[in-house]
Amino acid sequence: MRLNRRLFLLSDLGPNRVLASLALWHGVQGALLIALGVGGLVSRTQLLSLVHGIALAGALVVGFLSVVASIGIARRSHIGRAASLVVHYLLFIAALIGLASALDLFKGLDVLADYAAEGVPFLMAFVFMVGYALRTIELSERPVPRWRRRIGSAVMLVGGVGVALSLGLVTALLDWVAKLLQSPSALVWLALAVISVFLLRVMWRDPVAAWLGARRTHGEQLVGWLFLSPNLLGFLFFFAGPLLFSLYVSFTNWDAFNRRDWVGLENYARAFGLVVQPLRVPDQPASEALDVRTYSELMRVHLPGQSFLIGARDRLFWISLGNTLLFSALAVPLSVVPALFLAVLLNMRLPGMRLYRTLYFIPSVAAVVGVALIWQWMYNSQVGWINYFITEGINFINALLGTDIPDPQIRWLADSSYALLSVVIMSAWQWIGFNTVLFLAGLQTIPRELYEAATVDGANPRQQFFHITLPLLAPTTFYVLVTASIQALQVFDQVFIISNGTGGPGTSTLTMTLNLYQNGFQSFRQGYASALAWILFVVIFLFTLFQFRRQRKASSAYES
Amino acid sequence: MRFLTFSPFVRLGAIALWVLSACAVPAPLPQQPAQPPAGEAPAAPASEEVVLRWRTRPDNKEEADVYASISDEVSKRIGVKLIYEPGGSETASYQDVLKTELASGTAPDVFWIPGTDIADFVERGLLLDLRPFAAKTPGYSDDNFYPEPMFHLTYNPATGKTGEVLWGLPRDVSTFVLYLNLDLINEAGAPDPRELAKAGKWDWAAFEEVARKVNALGGDIKGYGMNAWWGPYGAFMNAAGGGFFNKERNACNLTSKESLEGLAFLKKLYDEGLAVPYGEDSEPPFRAGKVGMFQNGRWATPGISTVTFNWDVVELPKGPSGHMGNWLFWGAYVVNKNTKHPELAWKLVDALTQPEIQAKVAARGTNIPSRRGEAVFEEFLKILPEKNNQAFLNGLADQPTAEGPLWTGSWPDFDRAMGAVVSDLLTGKITLEEFAKIACDEPSKAFNR
Repeated sequence: MRLNRRLFLLSDLGPNRVLASLALWHGVQGALLIALGVGGLVSRTQLLSLVHGIALAGALVVGFLSVVASIGIARRSHIGRAASLVVHYLLFIAALIGLASALDLFKGLDVLADYAAEGVPFLMAFVFMVGYALRTIELSERPVPRWRRRIGSAVMLVGGVGVALSLGLVTALLDWVAKLLQSPSALVWLALAVISVFLLRVMWRDPVAAWLGARRTHGEQLVGWLFLSPNLLGFLFFFAGPLLFSLYVSFTNWDAFNRRDWVGLENYARAFGLVVQPLRVPDQPASEALDVRTYSELMRVHLPGQSFLIGARDRLFWISLGNTLLFSALAVPLSVVPALFLAVLLNMRLPGMRLYRTLYFIPSVAAVVGVALIWQWMYNSQVGWINYFITEGINFINALLGTDIPDPQIRWLADSSYALLSVVIMSAWQWIGFNTVLFLAGLQTIPRELYEAATVDGANPRQQFFHITLPLLAPTTFYVLVTASIQALQVFDQVFIISNGTGGPGTSTLTMTLNLYQNGFQSFRQGYASALAWILFVVIFLFTLFQFRRQRKASSAYES
Repeated sequence: MRFLTFSPFVRLGAIALWVLSACAVPAPLPQQPAQPPAGEAPAAPASEEVVLRWRTRPDNKEEADVYASISDEVSKRIGVKLIYEPGGSETASYQDVLKTELASGTAPDVFWIPGTDIADFVERGLLLDLRPFAAKTPGYSDDNFYPEPMFHLTYNPATGKTGEVLWGLPRDVSTFVLYLNLDLINEAGAPDPRELAKAGKWDWAAFEEVARKVNALGGDIKGYGMNAWWGPYGAFMNAAGGGFFNKERNACNLTSKESLEGLAFLKKLYDEGLAVPYGEDSEPPFRAGKVGMFQNGRWATPGISTVTFNWDVVELPKGPSGHMGNWLFWGAYVVNKNTKHPELAWKLVDALTQPEIQAKVAARGTNIPSRRGEAVFEEFLKILPEKNNQAFLNGLADQPTAEGPLWTGSWPDFDRAMGAVVSDLLTGKITLEEFAKIACDEPSKAFNR
């Protein structure tokens, strides 16, 4: 206790001076950070990069929290303490990242991975792992004996020291210190980290907590948030941040390099822009009815006595939307219905079922690229296996029955009538396995007693399936339908590989995500691509909402 | 033994030591610069810290290995540590990834890009003007390279003049030929295209005749095959005297009489089933011995040289314009505008385009050196597979149209729109008359940017 008091000399200054100093510190800190954030945002003539945007937004948030801390501490409120702890915790994390970056830590880790993967370091790492295994693995139901834990610890220690020495720990540490001393920015980050830790320690101390009226529950809440913080910070920086950034970008004409004007809703207006023009004659050229510099012909509608031409500012958006919805309408049932029946078959207690379950699941774990390439070869109209079997089958039938059925020689990937269907078949084949496993899990939760009772009551297997299996499988079916629909609406890899990134032939396999990719990463219209991404999000959201509503209705009808 | 129970602080300390040692683990030392060949000025001693990254798009691992060995050699020559990164894969379009890396500031110092993309990269401000460095380099001259690529590589979009700037140097050039399945052609009793070419009788009519005769073998045999991108169909448009753009390259020319004539000829081949369906990859059936003539560039030679049937190449047939309408394909080594070592990056580009380095790449058989001169031709003609290599050079000699960027519009947008409408035509979705009415509607928007 005496030692702690010596370490914490500030407490000898008395609460008024300490709190006044802390409030002043936070006030200055907040003002500086807000000035930095606002100044950065205002003075930038260019659209911010994601990293700069996050940094400036972070400065604003921390600055605001710092002001809250300053006011709270001045008023002797526990909110001031909480805000101060959060501010210094965030600054400590930022300082560590800045320090690591200034010292090339991330590059160093890459090099370490290369070094450690072979030779003596690898051997020593193996020794370390052996020690860990000795220390932790229970060979019987009894806990690991003390002697083995001790030997394991010793082996781990030898391995750990061996790894460190074989990697040149001493030299490395000296280099690190030299790097630190030579880099002013690293020293600044280190100073910030030390100050943050010191002030965290000060604010966490019981006397300060008592001066600010913090109770034990407040401390427990803060500890809870501390444990939540890795996930929360990861979510904010790697998910919510980019998400909001893309929303912001969707209102600009950013090209990722130079252009960066705010265009408001123009990107959305461009995607949805349609015009309907009456035609003098049904085949009147589009160039006569539309301003073809702005609009493109999307479709013609022929009504009795009058034809209309519908033009779109971005016809590819509408085509991709149509292709995506058609793909989903075909791929979802094709990957869900067979999966259900397959699951029922695989749920039977027959020999070899485990092997079959594995076999059907393999396509789901296979890489999409590999699968797509193999299907691309199989679909080749001349030398592909699919047409080969069709030809052989037709030849066999013709020879057997004396008929003259022509060989269709389907151009699976070259004919725009078949190309999307080809992708549907391939995708459904790949998704069936995963859906089957989900259904199988659902089937195994249905009590067997229900089937036994139904059998006793004279229900045949078909009746059992429709009146027991299907209703009790409804939650699983709903989950499978929702995930399969989302997967189908976001289809990209398959069409990208199959069409070599073009969405062809023509525009027959152009889906929304592929169109988004082409705009964002081939033409570098990042602003428009972001708008397309948000439109796709709304489509998926509405689709999922619709399915939820239907599920709720179906559930309530069943329960009633 | 109590210390062996590892308190959380000991564990944290051990992890911290690891992390600290990680940040200081020394990178592999750069190789010592080798002595320069006699007569050459020694390379300036470079700082140990200087590392240049460079990238190409090799077609396969063997080609990537050739570039890696070249990287080692050039590294010794210019005294800089080089890291070669083979780019491109089945899932990652080379240019898309490159531009994304440029946007995020992680792109290599020097990289190769196709000729069509020069304008897009220049106008986005991604490339460094190398003219000041070239001007100081003894022996350097734009005239050492083919003039068509150099026109675009020295074009200044700000002034509209050529020769003022230097965006890069061409790595190699290539032209189209027809790869022939001689066994199928003999079996069909068709005349030998190589003999017809020698006799000056290799034109569209003769080409169609050979395709018909091979196709008449029946089954899944096809007379002709090409892949679905702008090069193959563009060659037919060129051969008829047309092309994608007008002379000033600022308007769509797909609906000109000549361009339509070229496409009409091609459409006839597809409509009558003489060709592998448009959109199908024609290389697998050709390699399976089911296609008589397959149109592709020099880069296809290593793959095709492994087939088991008798094969050779012949130049493209001459069209109504009196020329074969071939392309002069090219790509260039360019320098990232944000490189920290512009002068060394230029040295790397210069070294990579020296004759002996180009000869090493050409020895793979995938491309033709981009430097001009009889000596280069002689070297190329010695290269495997020792077939009719002259056919490639004939393509270069017959007024080829240089693959070129679109300085007044967006080539990716033009290509995408043109590809879709040509695909509709050649797969029979629209007629030639319909094509003539609408073909330029969408591609023309690429000029509006």
